[in-house]
Amino acid sequence: MFHFVQRRRPHTTAYICPLATGERNVEEQIAELTAQIAALQGSSATTNRMFAETFYYLTIPLMIIIHAGFLAYEMGSSRLKNVLSSGVKNLLAFAFMIPTFYFFGWWIYWGFPTGLTFSEGPAGISGAAYASSIALGWGDAAQYMGPNIADQASGVFFGAFALFAATTASIMSGAVIERIQTVGFIILAVVLGSFAWVVAAAWGWHADGWLVTKFGVHDFGAAGLVHAVAGFFALGVLINLGPRIGKFNADGSANHIPGHNMPLTVVGLMLIIVGFWGFLMACVIVPGEAWSWFGDKASTIYGTPITLSSLSFNILMAVAGGIIGAWLFTRDPFWMMSGALAGIISTASGLDIYFPALAFIIAFSAGIILKPCADWLERRGIDDAVGAVTVHGTIGLYGVVMLGIWGSGFPALQGAAGEVPTINLMGQIIGAVVFFLLGFVPGYVVSYILKMFGMLRIRKGAELAGMDLVKVPAAGYPEWGADAPVTPAE
Amino acid sequence: MFPYGEASWSVVDGAMFMGWGGALPGMATFIAAVICVAVLVIGQRSETEKAKKFDK
Repeated sequence: MFHFVQRRRPHTTAYICPLATGERNVEEQIAELTAQIAALQGSSATTNRMFAETFYYLTIPLMIIIHAGFLAYEMGSSRLKNVLSSGVKNLLAFAFMIPTFYFFGWWIYWGFPTGLTFSEGPAGISGAAYASSIALGWGDAAQYMGPNIADQASGVFFGAFALFAATTASIMSGAVIERIQTVGFIILAVVLGSFAWVVAAAWGWHADGWLVTKFGVHDFGAAGLVHAVAGFFALGVLINLGPRIGKFNADGSANHIPGHNMPLTVVGLMLIIVGFWGFLMACVIVPGEAWSWFGDKASTIYGTPITLSSLSFNILMAVAGGIIGAWLFTRDPFWMMSGALAGIISTASGLDIYFPALAFIIAFSAGIILKPCADWLERRGIDDAVGAVTVHGTIGLYGVVMLGIWGSGFPALQGAAGEVPTINLMGQIIGAVVFFLLGFVPGYVVSYILKMFGMLRIRKGAELAGMDLVKVPAAGYPEWGADAPVTPAE
Repeated sequence: MFPYGEASWSVVDGAMFMGWGGALPGMATFIAAVICVAVLVIGQRSETEKAKKFDK
């Protein structure tokens, strides 16, 4: 070491004794190395922090692709006379979801995990007091709800969750096209997107959530708490809204009301699949930050390990399984792409731990049961224009329960064996029931109230004339004019 | 108004938006919420009026 130091700093040895010089140089070297290590740690921390921020930031535009997909899919599924009003409705759902989630949805997520006690949970990141300290747009909490040089996490987390919220509203949106009033729909969208699903997320998608800590509910990709809640909320609304004029005959048999543009619908569904990569990416907690579960590996929202490779394997296999399963009996591109969605949703709860071939099998089975489930609902007089109740609701619950069958025994939370609950079939069934109720009950009750006040369904004359004439000062295809083709159901 | 004592970015160590520490964030949040509600009320009235024109 002495020779090494002397070689590096020969000019200092001419006037000072070698031993003293060596000791001082060693000290200088240690100080220099310490400073370099500190600088490297700081640089590494900055890189990690910027990576984490960028990771969630990029999930937001990816999830907006879901909305581009829903927009195309709903407009394509609408008849020509309703095409733009369906688009307007979809755009407004997105637009109202963001501010309402800012006003109170974000608070609900942090305030509700322990149930209606609003108390702090074991992880210490829940309860009314905690929510009020970080998730309100006024007072001291406002520092975490706006630009803050010391906080590079709150905004991107809020953005990702707001897009989850907007997704739930869009799921309901498709089911009710061609006969719902705009404002009534927006109120329903806000109740679903900024309240109902958020409560479900607080209870089943939070380390302090009582469904997780007491029953071991595991729903990594939100099959139940997003899809099932939104799907069954839509069912509650559809019961009060009623079918489109011409959908059912006097004997109860159903007519098929085709949308005006099947290619647009199918491409829209494919865009939803693209956006779901962002949705599921946003369900991952990156490592190395103060709020991360681990310093060196990614985790689920429950603190259980996950890799993006797991998602890659399983999402791709699930998409493929769903398409193939739906093709087997329908041969219909609409149901094939709905099968792709069903494939993802049926495996979403366990995308972190399924074996890819098993994910394929579950998704395949979801693709097969999709159309029969939709037909069953239709035979009961429910006019779900795009099959949202089945694709998201029924298959969402199917996915939650499937994980209970296949994933039993896996730890549901981070922690020592015996101290944390494990995934189990009964817990998943309880979760499924809670998710069903959190969707169906508010959907039914709020739509019933709106119906009482005449705010739910558009007037009959306007429905027959076409909602674009009532709601939109523009035409979807102006050159077609009055020569546009009509379907028998009109 | 700059929410820190001296007008220099070097003293900024936290929230850096207009109105931080004052009443502006709360007022703006309240007004934004009122706008959302008012738009729904206006939208409902105009859509209902227009839809009535198609009654036979």
